[in-house]
Amino acid sequence: MSGPTRIPTGEETIPFTFDGTTYKARPGDTLAAALLANGIGLVGRSFKYHRPRGIMTAGIEEPNALVTVGTGGRAEPNTRATDLFVYPGMVATSQNRWPSLSFDVASIFGLAAPALGAGFYYKTLFGPAKHWMRYEGFIRRAAGLGNAPTEPDPDNFSQRAGFCDVLVVGSGPAGLKAALEAAEAGQRVMLVEQDAAPGGSLLRDPDPAIDPAAIIARIKALGGEVLLRTTASGYWDHNFLTLTQRLAEPGEVPAHGFAQRLWHVRAGRVLLATGLIERPVPFANNDHPGVMLSQAVRSYVRRWGVLPGKRVVIATNNDDAYLTAQTLVEAGAEVVALLDARASGPAAPAGVTVYHDARPSSVAGRKHALRKVTAVIGGGEQSFDADLIAVSGGFVPVSHLHMQAGGKLNWSEEAQAFVPGETPQVCETIGAALSPPPAPAVAPAGKAKKSFVDFQNDVSLADIDLAWQEGYRSVEHLKRYTTLGMATDQGKTSNMVALSRLAEKQGVSVPQAGLTTFRPPFTPVTMGLLAGAGARNAGAHVRRIPLHALHEAHDPIWQPLGYWFRPRAYPVGGESLQQAALREARTVRTVAGLSDVSTLGKFEVSGPDAAALLELVCATNVGKLAIGRGRYTFMLREDGFVNDDGTVWRLAENRYLLTSSTGGADRMAHFISYVRNSLRPDLKCSVVNVQEHYAGIALAGPKARGILASLTGAEPPRHMGYAPGVLAGVPVHVLAASYSGERAFEIHVEATHADTVWHAIETATRAEGGAPYGLEAMELLRIEKGHVVVGGEVDGRSTPHDLGLGGMLNKAGGFIGAAGLTRPALSDPNRNNLVGLVSLDGPIPEGGMLIQRAGQSPQGHVTAAARRILEGGPIALALLQGGHRRHGEELIVTSPTRGEKARVRVTSPHFYDPAGERYRD
Amino acid sequence: MTEATSIIALPAAPLHALEIWSNPQGVATRVHKALGFALPPMNRSATNASITLMRFEPTVWLAEGDVSVLADTLGDDGALTAIGGGIVRFRIAGPGWRELLLEGGVFDTSAAAFPVGATAATVIDHVGVRLFAESEDACVAYVPSSYAQSLHHFWDEALPLLGA
Repeated sequence: MSGPTRIPTGEETIPFTFDGTTYKARPGDTLAAALLANGIGLVGRSFKYHRPRGIMTAGIEEPNALVTVGTGGRAEPNTRATDLFVYPGMVATSQNRWPSLSFDVASIFGLAAPALGAGFYYKTLFGPAKHWMRYEGFIRRAAGLGNAPTEPDPDNFSQRAGFCDVLVVGSGPAGLKAALEAAEAGQRVMLVEQDAAPGGSLLRDPDPAIDPAAIIARIKALGGEVLLRTTASGYWDHNFLTLTQRLAEPGEVPAHGFAQRLWHVRAGRVLLATGLIERPVPFANNDHPGVMLSQAVRSYVRRWGVLPGKRVVIATNNDDAYLTAQTLVEAGAEVVALLDARASGPAAPAGVTVYHDARPSSVAGRKHALRKVTAVIGGGEQSFDADLIAVSGGFVPVSHLHMQAGGKLNWSEEAQAFVPGETPQVCETIGAALSPPPAPAVAPAGKAKKSFVDFQNDVSLADIDLAWQEGYRSVEHLKRYTTLGMATDQGKTSNMVALSRLAEKQGVSVPQAGLTTFRPPFTPVTMGLLAGAGARNAGAHVRRIPLHALHEAHDPIWQPLGYWFRPRAYPVGGESLQQAALREARTVRTVAGLSDVSTLGKFEVSGPDAAALLELVCATNVGKLAIGRGRYTFMLREDGFVNDDGTVWRLAENRYLLTSSTGGADRMAHFISYVRNSLRPDLKCSVVNVQEHYAGIALAGPKARGILASLTGAEPPRHMGYAPGVLAGVPVHVLAASYSGERAFEIHVEATHADTVWHAIETATRAEGGAPYGLEAMELLRIEKGHVVVGGEVDGRSTPHDLGLGGMLNKAGGFIGAAGLTRPALSDPNRNNLVGLVSLDGPIPEGGMLIQRAGQSPQGHVTAAARRILEGGPIALALLQGGHRRHGEELIVTSPTRGEKARVRVTSPHFYDPAGERYRD
Repeated sequence: MTEATSIIALPAAPLHALEIWSNPQGVATRVHKALGFALPPMNRSATNASITLMRFEPTVWLAEGDVSVLADTLGDDGALTAIGGGIVRFRIAGPGWRELLLEGGVFDTSAAAFPVGATAATVIDHVGVRLFAESEDACVAYVPSSYAQSLHHFWDEALPLLGA
């Protein structure tokens, strides 16, 4: 028997499945270790050619052994078997094969490799489009890795802030030492380790003088924080790092419902003890199961008790692989040859034959292991019967975080690797990453076509050569043309091999050939982790209005409005949305209705200079308002376009209330703060956002005045008047303002008492035959009245003149936006103006384009469409080029995407009570 | 630790924004005389039996409690504006309150950075909140009422994570 094995000890107690077959693992096994222990060397199929792939490494750099783990919405594709610790019941599945891993029909693509080489996609896409249409589906099915789950992820994701004086990344010998020293110096320490156990290289090569567990315990005792299964995935500005912590293994049901945590860490100093990654060696079929990195072989033997092969060839250009030979011999394997590319090396372990000036040129194998290794030794070729080859092409410092931090790299000719240099942040690389061992450059042997460099994307030496031949000289172009380094492993094992080949082609040194940039994340991050708790609610908490529960009792149709949820309509008796909205709107027109307007922006402005501030913020004249009076107003951006609209009320001598739209509330809060604190910090006034302090209830309709009078015991203020009052025993502000076109009031009440006031108003309104109304009815009412809405007619490109509001501008100027308004382009008579539209035939499609005849470019668009509430008949508001002088003109509204059109006549936007007589008693 | 940390919504309380726009030294002297304590500096609080002042902005304090005495000291140098209707107070009590506030948070809640009596205006899971380190064992969070239910739920879900 050949191939990977492990002698059972009775510790194999953890059941898991791979491709439906149940196996047993030991506690602490990675999936890779457990598969090897069970004799499984074939783990997956490659991305493009569906070549059989095994386990190459023992860490996060693994390019080959990708699996899907977990089931349902918890399934995680493309997970490295080497970075996945087995838990009871783990379900792992191989990827990118059909019908089975052993027999994959698509492996026939390997025969077509000459046609699928570098630049395949580019060449394909440059061809006639109809060709792409022909084989797109086939390519999409054939290429790829795992499948994303179709069910929702049932787990939560945490995001947490972290702070420390010293953040140490990596718990190898250097990291442990640095973290302990910092902790003993009284510094606040965080030590993060992506493995499940501390120690780093000590797990592979133990040092009796260093006890990781004892050091970790000491660091914790000194108040340090140690995070295992945590990867520093991003290094940003100002020593801000993101860490990815696994609270459960991929696919595992998490103990507390949270699968992972994204740490946002701000560190005073960062120490990167990230170690080295071993470099593969290119030769023919170097991607076959049974080709492993030398240190990985040592890890499986020493850490997990797994023997990846019994007859082993070792190929190296450095001394480290000799330790692997020693380890294998001690574990009972036969090292049939140690191929050292150098002319000399250290003493070989007993019983091991060393060949100098020797390089592997090809391997051949069975399903789970190798059968033969062929090498070029001196000038000749020699083959060895072997089930495993352990290769070491030198070592590459893990400098990804260093580069993300803006650090420079220096070239080590001795190690043929880039090592971390200067960095602009308070960051230092320590340990092995600073001094990779010597490893001379070695010319590859074997056929370039099957000598793989980027294993995940099936990029071979021949692909690099082809890219060079076709003119792709820059490393950046090479990368994109061949897809080198662009897979989920981001080229951790391929970059240096590829750069060496490119440099060789160019006849320059590796640093002259260049280097691509390492960007976050260091290892793949799940989308759920980035979304955090928001993964379940579209990324944001729901904002509840004060009367949310009260409305809920009416079972309304809810309308998301920004982060808010507001009642859209209150259907009764099986009404549709449209039926309910029309009934509610008619009730307002004929009796009275009440609506929740709590989400309006509200700002209380007080102080001797309150009026001066408002005259700056508002484009209308508000400074001369009498106490107890209010005015419609709008606010401009500095460029002269309308920012928002609302009302301003003088509550007392030096106290005003400014309202703004719901959608613009946050924008106005920022804008007013900017004006107050940056433009005019000298003003003696205070601006306080009271949007949530007050709930707002609109009461509108011909009977509104009587209802309110009966509730407050006082005559309500006349239109645009303000009066304080008491309603149901609760102090309220009564603002006589109308959005509906009827006599109407806004009753603002401290939100904690809103339900009492609403209940009283609703009871009185229903007694008169009225009812609550929602946003849909409000829309019908305001369209018929010709009132603009921010986000509809006020679309960020509208001036007051465009909207027919120019006459309200403060003649004295001085308001923000006044200068912007003087720009000639804003007085162009062909600007889009607000108009009304009356249909001459059917319904007017909302959003439709306005044209004079078929084939003409649009001259405007419909911003809102509705119907006359009492009389019926489609109407709409629109923005039309030169619209103010086109009343009476007939146009066509067309919506090609919906296949709808209507003939319309341009009118004034005020369809209902244009003189405003219904506002007045 | 998990069992010992709790989140309780407190009853509505009178809350006002106190803004001082002129003569800060004069106002400070008058306030000190009237309340018996100095206006607290940024990110700090001060209190007596009837009122607590917490400073979150350069010119703005949050006043919790009876402001009648305070109102008389301001003259034309400042104003009080009621804001209590829009804020829900939560007391987060127990040994895990500092750790809990790191969930979705962005600021350092350690005792060294956020000692008893300190205040902070910050963001927790995208929601703007104000915090007051009431004691070693408790913090009061002032949360916009529209987000109160959601944030309470967020904290409840995060409780089992303490120490994890």
